[in-house]
Amino acid sequence: MRQYKTRSNFLFNLFVNLVMLTSLLLCLIPFVYMIALSLSSPKAIINNEVFLWPKGFTLESYLQIFNYPNFFHAYGNTILYTFVGTGISLAMMILFAYPLSKTRLKGQKALMKLVIFSMFFTGGLIPNYLLVSSLGLINTRWAMLLPFAINQFNLILLINFFRTIPEDMEEAAIIDGLDYFGILLKIILPLSGAALATVGLYTAVFFWNDWFNGLIYLKSSQFPVMLFLRNIVTGTSMVGDAAGAGDKTTIAISIKSAVIITSTLPIIVLYPFLQRYFVKGIMIGAVKG
Amino acid sequence: MRKKRKDVNTITTKKYFARYWQLYLMLLLPLLYFLVFKYAPMIGNVLAFRRYRPGMGAWGTEWVGLTYFRRFFGDPAFWRAFRNTLILSLINLVINFPIPIIFAILVNEIRHLAFKRVVQTVSYMPRFISTVVVIAILGELLSPSSGIINILRERLFGLEAIYFMNDSKYFRMIYVLVDTWQYTGWTAIIYLAAITGIPSDLYEAATIDGANKAQQIMFVTIPSIMPTIMVMLILNVGRLLSLGFEKVLLMYTPDNSMVSDIIDTLVYRTGLANQNYSYATAIGLFSGLIGIVLVAGSNSLSKRLTGDGIY
Repeated sequence: MRQYKTRSNFLFNLFVNLVMLTSLLLCLIPFVYMIALSLSSPKAIINNEVFLWPKGFTLESYLQIFNYPNFFHAYGNTILYTFVGTGISLAMMILFAYPLSKTRLKGQKALMKLVIFSMFFTGGLIPNYLLVSSLGLINTRWAMLLPFAINQFNLILLINFFRTIPEDMEEAAIIDGLDYFGILLKIILPLSGAALATVGLYTAVFFWNDWFNGLIYLKSSQFPVMLFLRNIVTGTSMVGDAAGAGDKTTIAISIKSAVIITSTLPIIVLYPFLQRYFVKGIMIGAVKG
Repeated sequence: MRKKRKDVNTITTKKYFARYWQLYLMLLLPLLYFLVFKYAPMIGNVLAFRRYRPGMGAWGTEWVGLTYFRRFFGDPAFWRAFRNTLILSLINLVINFPIPIIFAILVNEIRHLAFKRVVQTVSYMPRFISTVVVIAILGELLSPSSGIINILRERLFGLEAIYFMNDSKYFRMIYVLVDTWQYTGWTAIIYLAAITGIPSDLYEAATIDGANKAQQIMFVTIPSIMPTIMVMLILNVGRLLSLGFEKVLLMYTPDNSMVSDIIDTLVYRTGLANQNYSYATAIGLFSGLIGIVLVAGSNSLSKRLTGDGIY
């Protein structure tokens, strides 16, 4: 262990820690800057006085967006899409993954090929749009939910997980008189908590962050909060009525920051606690037939 | 004899379904989903060869052969988008392929366990932030009037403010750096896992031979994770045409369109904004087919080189 005390190794460790500290700060500073902007007074922002700490502390921008009905509406829409979408998605993926995890099942190989092929070749934007359109889903909330019910990566992750559950447990259950629905509900699912949490989280994050499908399929009262934010950024939609024209841009900056923070808050707050489930997926999800 | 065998067969098939019918019942709905939402649009690609008339169905009205393909092959806007896609992808690959490897190696060298855990947790997080939020934050950081970057440039160096988001000179650099910010930590997980799998006696032997840390990385760590690096490289080459469409769309402005118009945004604009459905489908199908060739090619290369592919 004397090796660690050499000069070159000391310098090496210093280098590692410095680089890591820098990347840590680079990851965090954008968020800190947004929080600082959202809590600063318009005057401090216009004078370019805000860096990583709020100046002229005020909750004005949060009060404004909370009093803005469209923001609440969009936020509610996002919560709805996230919960219903994740629910549908999990149900569909479980129902497909369980039979597909049984390699002895006739037709299983062909179905796996069907799934994997669709990962590499897709319909493309226009055929997808025309499909949703001809199903009559345009301007309905289903357009946000149904087309994305199954993500093949998550499905394969679940299949791989189900395969790790020993089969003798099932055989014992069949002898005890359980059918396959009973096995799935009473044996497989209770053992799959971690995998379901992982897949559920990926799916929930997808629905929470989705905006493009809202843009092409929905009308404005159905917009999710991310599309609402995007429209503020592009100037398509305005938030808050600035009293003076000169104030307008700076007020917009603090309000934009407040929307950014509030719409990302659930992910930032929940992430540290659920982090292990997020990471688990990448390890068991190797894309393999 | 023949009759008997047939009987046996029907009985076992019957028995088979009597035993397994519930499994087939389960997969009925998801299978229907796949046929409707994944395979119908695939077949919908025939629209590239058919004329679309509004209100007369998603499949078009009559066959027109390769008309639309010929048209975009002669369209400078297509070639510009094609070139932009390739250039952006290649720059992204050259810069953002090695960075996660270096990052993983350095994370692995952190001695302080709590610090290591914090670095890992925080560096994975940007992967889960919405593209809209990332680009919105970027817009504020880089704003010419109030962005912290321009303020610092002015205060520290007396430089004039640059409208980064609107200037085609900076588009590619910004795109690539945002990718670095968002995906470095996440992609590094795979390399970290590979590094964790390296037997520790290799390092002990290197230490006894007098190798310092840098030498251990050069001669133990990197050679040991080389198979993982190769598979990841091949995977990335296979994905060369699929850039972050949403990110490009959010960063797209008329002023930077010379470099920011990629195939996907071209399809979006000609297809959904201008409703040239058949034309846009043809472009999309063409790039999809190139994508499939790249994936298949890189996969067989991977199998030949490493004995392992992705399917």
